[in-house]
Amino acid sequence: MSLIELKNVYKIYNEGRESQVNALDGVSLSIGKGEFVAIIGTSGSGKSTMMNILGCLDVPTRGDYLLDGQPVGEKSQRELSDLRSRRISFIFQGYNLIPSLKVWENVALPMTYQHIPLQERRERALEALQSVEILAKAENKPGQLSGGQQQRVAIARAIATRSPILMADEPTGALDSKTGAQVLELMRRLNAQGTTVILITHDNGIAAQADRTVRVMDGHIVHDSLWDGVLVPAEVRAS
Amino acid sequence: MNSLRMALDSITEKKGRSFLTMLGIIIGVTAVLVLVAMVTGYNSDMTAYYEKLGVNKVTVELSWYDTSRAFDMVMPLCEYGNGELSDMVEGVTPDLSTRLPVQYDGAAVDSTAVYLGSDQYAACSNYILESGRDILPQEIENRSMVCVLGSYVADTLFPYTDPIGKTVAIGGYPFLVVGTYYQKDGGAEDSMDHMAAVPYTVNRALLRSDRVDSITVKVNSTKNVDTVMFRLELWLAEQIDGAVGEYSLADGNSAMAESNDEMTSLSVVLGGIASIALLVGGIGIMNIMLVTVTERTREIGIKKSIGAPRWEIIGQFLLEAGILSSLGGLVGIALGFAPSFWVRPCMG
Repeated sequence: MSLIELKNVYKIYNEGRESQVNALDGVSLSIGKGEFVAIIGTSGSGKSTMMNILGCLDVPTRGDYLLDGQPVGEKSQRELSDLRSRRISFIFQGYNLIPSLKVWENVALPMTYQHIPLQERRERALEALQSVEILAKAENKPGQLSGGQQQRVAIARAIATRSPILMADEPTGALDSKTGAQVLELMRRLNAQGTTVILITHDNGIAAQADRTVRVMDGHIVHDSLWDGVLVPAEVRAS
Repeated sequence: MNSLRMALDSITEKKGRSFLTMLGIIIGVTAVLVLVAMVTGYNSDMTAYYEKLGVNKVTVELSWYDTSRAFDMVMPLCEYGNGELSDMVEGVTPDLSTRLPVQYDGAAVDSTAVYLGSDQYAACSNYILESGRDILPQEIENRSMVCVLGSYVADTLFPYTDPIGKTVAIGGYPFLVVGTYYQKDGGAEDSMDHMAAVPYTVNRALLRSDRVDSITVKVNSTKNVDTVMFRLELWLAEQIDGAVGEYSLADGNSAMAESNDEMTSLSVVLGGIASIALLVGGIGIMNIMLVTVTERTREIGIKKSIGAPRWEIIGQFLLEAGILSSLGGLVGIALGFAPSFWVRPCMG
């Protein structure tokens, strides 16, 4: 059984009006546990919509999304936020740390929503900061850190929650190549420890570091590296 | 780490804006407090005034074609009130008064309220004897020229001596002072203590008329007022020939009740106006929270993505609005108290 499974998923904006946009136009995709997948596409290709749906931030207009074999579309808002809290971590291009909270508090914040006691929250947060080698900054505010450091804090936040899925949306987009490489290395390490990593990017070079690449264009999957060397019927390729 | 600290952080981060947001609530609460306090103050003022005038009074209004006939009713009504109704009636007195100068030894108190009452005038009008004695029944009968002075008149004319036994001139006629009343209304010139009581039978001299329009019957307790009115009604119907005379009864407590009703509606109206100020303040907070939500969509997004449930995010904004409102309310209460301290002496 796949960890993540999209079955003929549509995401349509302004349906029925002239401005109708099919951001996802019948996408099917399955991702297994422990994979390191890059979803690659230009802006407007539908890759961000795909991430929003995979990350349970949005629901499909039509089609099914199964997470751990369970349909996400049938879940309530409360169950969705619980899913996000326990199953999925995010890393964004803009780091998305809360500026008014200290670094370790940012790392510990998701655990508050899992009702983990303060003492354990703090221990796990510091442990995660240690593993991304930024423990010295634990008491600082995010604004006092460099971009690369902030992204490492965001990764520490993902590590601390111990969620099995990590979604990264252009995680190196705002970083120079050296710190970008460090961030990618960290994600590799996480993947080696069993986390399923989904990397969304427009950069072929970064996508090449993943085990599997899925190319999205105009709301369709136009290429999946799994297809390489496998005989895929023409109508599947066309979908 | 918890929502409370986050809410406090975001309030203290933008002090100027938080204060302006609260300002509406502060003004609203202050306005409500001050207006309601003023109405309440005025109301208790009026109640005190009516209580000094005397509660539980029944007024018998009389009108005859021949005016002197009403005067002839005073004595029988007094006798009836003190006889058959004596277990419910404290006193009966005609309502006669005029304003005359009172003079003694070159000193004068001008336009003193002179009440031409029965021997029970003090009981009817809530005066208490301080020294000497009250007017006696036989002095009423004998048309004696005696008087009891209110504290303002007594203190002004006799600052160092005992007024009892002295003779004062009221409207040019000599009156023997037999007693004085305790101060009951502040003792100033414009108070109810600027008065003198004399027997009503001296009316021909002081009023140059024998006209009486009404007689007051003072009842000992509110619960007896209706019974007394009923008995008086029967008695008056028996006594007075409807062909030549008319009578009517009025309950003095109803004037006070009317005034209370007026006060209640006044306080509702003023309170309502002040509540609009409060409402506007509330809308101000609503508005600023809307702006804050728009400003912080990013933060909301981050929190949602790391698994914050809906109520957690809504709760934080509500908490912030709640803290702002309560702080504004507390400051408003403090500001509302302040004026009451200088308004009180102003209103007396």
